Amino acid sequence: MAARAEDINREDALQGIGCSRKRKEDPRFVQGKGNYVDDIKLPGMLFADLVRSPYPHARVKSINKEKALALPGVHAVLTAEDLKPLNLHWMPTLAGDVQAVLADEKVHMQYQEVAVVIADDRYIAADAVDLVEVEYEPLPVLVDAHKALDPDAPILREDLQDKDNVGQGPRRHPNHIFTWEVGDKEATTRAFDTAEVTVKEEMYYPRVHPSPLETCGCVASFDKVNEHLTVYITSQAPHVVRTVVTLISGIPESKVRIVSPDIGGGFGNKVGVYPGYVTAIVASIVLGRPVKWVEDRMEHLSTTAWARDYWMTGELAADKDGRVKGLRVNVLADHGAFNSHAQPTKWPAGFFSIVTSSYDIPAAQVKVDGVYTNKSPGGVAYRCSFRVTEAIYLIERMMDVLAQKLGIDKAEIRRRNFVKPEQFPYKTALDWELDSGDYHTALDKVLAAVDYQGLRKEQEEKRAKGELMGIGLVTFTEIVGAGPSKSCDILGVGMFDSAEIRVHPTGSVMARMGTITQGQGHQTTYAQIIASELGLSSDQIQIEEGDTDTAPYGLGTYGSRSTPVGGAATAVAARKIRAKAQKIAAHLLEVDENDVEWDIDRFKVKGVPGQEKTMKEIAWAAYNNVPEGMEMGLEAVDYYDPPNFTYPFGTYLCVVDIDKYTGQTHVRRFYALDDCGTRINPMIIDGQIHGGLNEGFAVAMGQELPYDAEGNLLGNTFMDYFIPTFVETPHWETDYTVTPSPHHPLGAKGVAESPHVGSIPCFTAAIVDAFAHLGVTHMDMPHSAYRVWQKLHELGLDKHS
Amino acid sequence: MQVNLDKTFPIAAPAGNAWQFLQDIPGVAGCMPGAEVTETIDDKNYKGRVKAKIGPATMAFNGDIEIQGVDSEKRELHLIGRGQDTKGSSSATMDLRAWVVEEADGQCALKGEAQVAVTGKAASLGGRMMTQVADQILNQFGKNFANNVVAMGQGADAEGAREELAEQPKEVNGLAFVWSVIVGMLRSLFGHKKADSH
Repeated sequence: MAARAEDINREDALQGIGCSRKRKEDPRFVQGKGNYVDDIKLPGMLFADLVRSPYPHARVKSINKEKALALPGVHAVLTAEDLKPLNLHWMPTLAGDVQAVLADEKVHMQYQEVAVVIADDRYIAADAVDLVEVEYEPLPVLVDAHKALDPDAPILREDLQDKDNVGQGPRRHPNHIFTWEVGDKEATTRAFDTAEVTVKEEMYYPRVHPSPLETCGCVASFDKVNEHLTVYITSQAPHVVRTVVTLISGIPESKVRIVSPDIGGGFGNKVGVYPGYVTAIVASIVLGRPVKWVEDRMEHLSTTAWARDYWMTGELAADKDGRVKGLRVNVLADHGAFNSHAQPTKWPAGFFSIVTSSYDIPAAQVKVDGVYTNKSPGGVAYRCSFRVTEAIYLIERMMDVLAQKLGIDKAEIRRRNFVKPEQFPYKTALDWELDSGDYHTALDKVLAAVDYQGLRKEQEEKRAKGELMGIGLVTFTEIVGAGPSKSCDILGVGMFDSAEIRVHPTGSVMARMGTITQGQGHQTTYAQIIASELGLSSDQIQIEEGDTDTAPYGLGTYGSRSTPVGGAATAVAARKIRAKAQKIAAHLLEVDENDVEWDIDRFKVKGVPGQEKTMKEIAWAAYNNVPEGMEMGLEAVDYYDPPNFTYPFGTYLCVVDIDKYTGQTHVRRFYALDDCGTRINPMIIDGQIHGGLNEGFAVAMGQELPYDAEGNLLGNTFMDYFIPTFVETPHWETDYTVTPSPHHPLGAKGVAESPHVGSIPCFTAAIVDAFAHLGVTHMDMPHSAYRVWQKLHELGLDKHS
Repeated sequence: MQVNLDKTFPIAAPAGNAWQFLQDIPGVAGCMPGAEVTETIDDKNYKGRVKAKIGPATMAFNGDIEIQGVDSEKRELHLIGRGQDTKGSSSATMDLRAWVVEEADGQCALKGEAQVAVTGKAASLGGRMMTQVADQILNQFGKNFANNVVAMGQGADAEGAREELAEQPKEVNGLAFVWSVIVGMLRSLFGHKKADSH
């Protein structure tokens, strides 16, 4: 039925779902009027700075504060000794381990926090840090994860020596954290034993850091009279921080207020709780004055949460036609000095078991061993949903390796193994239920758009001339929207999320969510959901997040969970309001509730044109004329516990040309097709995809936090750590298909992380593909010109013939 | 971050004099630009200080020198120096073996092998420069050492050496040093590497 022009006008006026509405956050950002943690200035505020260890592993023999305390303007110098009586010298991590707030007798990594100085200003604090004298006794250093479990390896965590379990199952060595095994071992072994062909590849996923524009920091303010603690903090999960603060400080949650103001990017880095936050809070409690702590870039790269550091071995068993029969993966995971991996608590390797991805693989088995090393702690999801990036990297690399072994085209081998549209919902061998997908359509659309056959032909011609051209193809399925509380919790709190919506008498709306935007544009997109559900213009809808005193409890924003979980809560809460509005409308129109129907922004009496009440009229009535027995007001709350994860997917294709004398890679073309189900704001989706592709490009081409054999971190400044700018970044082409999620109220799946997950293996695939005719099956990241040149040199390709 | 350095400095003076000077730890330390022995604990243990100013950054290391062995027959000295910068953000150790070999015409040479390890900010920020910086510091050290030994003698050469020593700046300083580091880097890029770093 063709919509009438008047209906279209009414719908457009709402700026609801599907509208490329301009971001409501941008006016303040582009004018430099954002309000970040470091913009917050409170009366009487003091500044904290941290004394850090130059040694990766050492005993702290003594700490002399005298000279620092003698410096005018210094208020306090705190060490582990000072925090001990408060039992705050160690803190719990999200992964069941503990982490030293300030080094307790030992340092376990370079730049570890040893003491905190509180002073009148940032400069005095920095000067005083230099005056704190710490005497260390260096200990043997463990940097290589492969040596962590050797019988003679130095023992790192003496505090855990008596424990055979650090929260994630039994361990077999003092440097061992956990072994995580999933899948059917017997079936997988059988698949390999009977396979016509098997392939195996080892790969290292380097340690990388999200490095958001804004580093981490907080302002803690303790009111001694009311015993009320307020903390402004760079957090992707303010409510969780409040719970953690209460658990470790004993201050009731009702007297703790956590505020995440504007945040300059998170990407997983701002999920955890860092020692700097805790020391600022303690200092404020001790001194009774506000204390600000903001780290510098070097501290940020050296100590806050990084991602990956996975040594992975993948194996595929297949038949001669390339149909995969079994997948086996072994991973050695380097978690650094403390297991502060940010993840749903029961998942020591996150959702790595999504590793079967888009493919119908009958048998699979995964084993991950986590170990301690003298490196910074962590292992977060860097713009992905908990180890999904690693998993997709592995399976996409392995599909290429198999294709090369069998001489099957890389697109064709994927097509043969895809889960078919009619198989959804599809249960994977590792127990995920993929909600919906149409992988063949997505692949065909991309291949047609780029003229894949033409590219392959061009590649053949170039190869004949001795030129290096590579085509990378990735067909991924992500798992996002953590998650169902039956399988996901953080420190025991289920991973639901929430929305609270209030419609005012004049028809404007105030809505608050348990999530927190860090660039995702929630103030824009949540309003669009409410606009479509309630028929009120999104310009009249205010979205507020991040203040635990006002927002309903939620688990925060990471793992692409805002739209799948927070967005669902928003839709359901709005529908509760609409259900009440329907009753009010019927009352006003003096008909039965079932005789009215919803039409864009109003309820109409069925079959009686002109008999209608707009949502605005209903809102007014909700405060003065409601049916008998109904309470006044028009508001609703929803805590949404998702029945399943969502599984966005995509097909990415990358074309590179490699200069064989310099190793320089030119990304000639990058085509990204994403399917995130229902699209709420296409412009924001495009922006998120561009950002994710940029970060994927950064990871694949240059980012790395390397350590030397003595445990020195060598990549912790922007001299070394690669942040691509406008100059390096390739041109991106985006495309989409729409396969709604059947279980999400709006059919939406979440999108911001797909481009990161999908693009990284695509760059690697393109570069390896340039060498594939020479028998190369894999090259580890980062694909810097130097490293690519090393491969060229090894193959003798850089010589003039 | 660790570098191994291997050096030979020719000295226009008899081996006996060079060996005599090599055993004077405060004197030898004084040859290192910006270094001095601040306290002699006993004949095996000393406390010292090294100060280096490169561009805007000043690094001062306080540390201990421990004599591991003195072999008069081989004319060899073995010492270990350990230091921490006064800001507590870096530390360095050096394991040094130095010996005197006789050459023709009453001349000699000082030979040295050192492993220098640096941790902390100095490694993170200065790692890529370390081989060249250490190389330049040692070159200045060698020159000073030779001058000191030559100055023990008589005549015009000794007089010249004494004058040069008097002019020697007390710390690693200024543009000239940075320039020599850059020249050293360029040489190592385009020529043969003198020192291996790993």
